Amino acid sequence: MVASVLKIKGISKSFGVHKVLHDIDLEIAKGEVHALIGENGAGKSTLMKIIGGIHRPDTGSIEVDGESVAFSNPQAAMAKGISLVHQELSLVPNLSIAQNVFSQREPTNWLGFVKWDELHKRTRELMERLGVDIDPATMVAELSVGIRQLVEIAKALSMDAKILVLDEPTSALSEKEVETLYRIVDDLKAAGVSIIFISHKLPEVFRISDRISVLRDGRMIGTVKAEDTDTDEIIHMMVGRSIEEMYPPRASSVGETVLSVEGLSRGDELSDLSFELKKGEILGFAGLVGSGRTETARAIFGADPVDAGTITLHGRTVKFKSALDAINHGVCYLTEDRKDLGLFLTKNVRTNIVSSSLKKFASQLGLLQHSGIEDTAKYYVQHVKLRPADDKPLVMNLSGGNQQKALLAKWLCADPQVLIVDEPTRGVDVGAKTEIHSHLRQLANSGVGVIVISSELPEILGLCDRVAVFNEGRITAVLDGEGTTQEDVMKYATM
Amino acid sequence: MRSLGTVLKKLTKKGNIGLIASVALLTVVMSLAYPNFLTLFNIEITAMGFIQEALMALGMTLVIISGGIDLSVAAVLPFTAIIVGLLLKTSLGVWPSIAIALGVAVLIGFINALMINKLRVFPFIATLATATMLRGVALVITEGATISGFPTAFYEIGHGRVYGIPVPVIIFLVLAVLFALLLKNHSYFQQVYFVGGNAKAAQLSGIKVNRLRYVIYGISAFMAGLAGIITASQYVSASTGFGLNSDMRVITSVIIGGASLSGGKGSIGGTIWGVIFLAIISNAFVQSGAPTYWQDVVYGGMLLAAVFLEEYLRARGRKAKMKSWREFLTSG
Ligand SMILES: Nc1ncnc2c1ncn2[C@@H]1O[C@H](COP(=O)(O)OP(=O)(O)OP(=O)(O)O)[C@@H](O)[C@H]1O
Ligand SMILES: [Mg+2]
Repeated sequence: MVASVLKIKGISKSFGVHKVLHDIDLEIAKGEVHALIGENGAGKSTLMKIIGGIHRPDTGSIEVDGESVAFSNPQAAMAKGISLVHQELSLVPNLSIAQNVFSQREPTNWLGFVKWDELHKRTRELMERLGVDIDPATMVAELSVGIRQLVEIAKALSMDAKILVLDEPTSALSEKEVETLYRIVDDLKAAGVSIIFISHKLPEVFRISDRISVLRDGRMIGTVKAEDTDTDEIIHMMVGRSIEEMYPPRASSVGETVLSVEGLSRGDELSDLSFELKKGEILGFAGLVGSGRTETARAIFGADPVDAGTITLHGRTVKFKSALDAINHGVCYLTEDRKDLGLFLTKNVRTNIVSSSLKKFASQLGLLQHSGIEDTAKYYVQHVKLRPADDKPLVMNLSGGNQQKALLAKWLCADPQVLIVDEPTRGVDVGAKTEIHSHLRQLANSGVGVIVISSELPEILGLCDRVAVFNEGRITAVLDGEGTTQEDVMKYATM
Repeated sequence: MRSLGTVLKKLTKKGNIGLIASVALLTVVMSLAYPNFLTLFNIEITAMGFIQEALMALGMTLVIISGGIDLSVAAVLPFTAIIVGLLLKTSLGVWPSIAIALGVAVLIGFINALMINKLRVFPFIATLATATMLRGVALVITEGATISGFPTAFYEIGHGRVYGIPVPVIIFLVLAVLFALLLKNHSYFQQVYFVGGNAKAAQLSGIKVNRLRYVIYGISAFMAGLAGIITASQYVSASTGFGLNSDMRVITSVIIGGASLSGGKGSIGGTIWGVIFLAIISNAFVQSGAPTYWQDVVYGGMLLAAVFLEEYLRARGRKAKMKSWREFLTSG
């Protein structure tokens, strides 16, 4: 066995009365890729934040290269060669890519003035290594979620760390970007860097890691060699029982058309898109990142202007003037970026769940009926299996996957007639993912038209009745979910 | 249409386009209406009339970019003037007196930062409290009287000239260049943008936010102190009445200059244009003989107009797609 670069012993951590880590031991060998997995809220990110000097443990010890350390801030951890790519993106939108990547470590002259040319050159190199050709002076605010994720990774790479923690790095990446990331992980590993990799995507975990450690409810269940185990065993370790990754049965019958889109066009992003959504069906949008799926959803929702095209809802032509207008017409949109539009982070779960449907709870005088709100919120907390099963914590303090569930609950509560969900299971664990799928199916069965945008092909194919394949702003095929293979979809997505 | 759009976009990327155009327009109108507007004499009057605000605006730019606000500057100004006035009456000498007075100003800035850091008071409240208390203390010290009778060496600061340029203007120019360079290019001062742009991310990337706050509020108070010393020298006296309402003019210049009260945005260049703009308006009142009571009404109106114009141009210039979710939601 190679020497451990990182040795964690007996780490415990509580937030208030809530104990989230119990006596955790973990060893990371030099040059290994070590996956850390577990359900949403199991404590993975918290453990990594302790290693990264962001949280302090209540008890326990950490050794780096045999030397015992106690980090009081992120810099101390960075100084020991530990760098973290956070699950929640942490870039400054008004600054450039380069400024974000080299924040606090800009190349400077002896007076401390930034050498811009060198800064941009080095950033460009890093981004090219990640397969992105982009002007390093571009503001982060202008970037898509996927590219932002790559900027975060570039930032961690730029630190030349010995231990690199990647907390769900792939949840916002497309297949191609994920491949690049795998390649980089392999390179780093060959160079002797140890990598801790957190992910809910088990195939990816098996593809990339040497060993796998499983956390459940804040306890370390065990560490196994990837080659000695399989998905079933891992899932069993994660949830304490086995889960069949089964998709709910498809729609037996669909109703009349709820939403139809004709000739939607804008510049070279959307060209002449047409499709129909029927009552009770789940329609999937498949395609590469940037193929126009999110743009189409936004255009329907009224978020962006279009050059041409008509949108018909229940046989009436509509053009939404605002998000509120769309919601009032029963069209809801769960966005790709839960932080930006979706959630009020500093408010509690209850407030978030009812935030788009306050009208439902108002008396004739417009006063809110709090008992109704409480009951409804509690119902949805159970319904989406939020952890902890409580409507009072601040959304800010929920784990990433549970924030995603809270966001779904919010839109379910709004009683939509058409629900568009963009990457609905991003960062959600296997068990909860199955739950979300069955919620979406139940919703469809109750007569709602559902559109699912997802970069995960198995999800699209398993869940949807029909799949519209997007390619450079067009729909190149509408396929039946049943019987279609991933290869079929990829053919139309890239032809 | 498309080319106009891209031109607008390019221009708005540089920022302050609306502001610079307004300054140019105002200058043209004023020089047509009042032929002596563009004379050196009048330019100097305009500059000197706004030199305190200009100095304080440099410090305030840092504060506002960092996501804070400093309402204490208008009180630090007379307070420092009074301290230096009292010290000048002792046998300390001019320079030591100035140094001590500036030291006191910086200390007040530190107290602001301390309250924000340790007591977790909002900058608005912390600096408002400081301002109120300082005004009170200044009245207690002076019993409302004006302090006067300073040595000639001190008189020179407000009235001297180098190559014909008034010393305060030179001080401002040197500091403005220094501030602009530091804020734009110095790695330490880049942190100000990080803290204002995303305080949590700043902390994660290892910025010592609390320490930086001492520096920022210290600098802001230092600039207010400097303005106080210059005022005392100009008037050859020190009184609690100095700097009244200057805080609002300072903040207005910074905001007109493109900074945002939510932090992360702003520049020294923009602030200087903002200061010039307000200074010209103030001079317009002098020139036209209009009742100066109206001045603040106009400033307020200009603040609204400037913010509106920038926002409008940005929306026009930006690709429709770039509209953020938040903007979209709040438009609904
Ligand atoms: N700052 C905080 N204050 C209070 N509770 C917190 C805080 N941070 C995390 N928690 C709680 O700690 C538990 C573990 O959260 P953590 O983010 O570590 O989960 P995770 O394993 O990373 O989950 P996910 O897969 O959803 O990202 C959760 O119950 C969460 O609500
Ligand atoms: Mg997590």
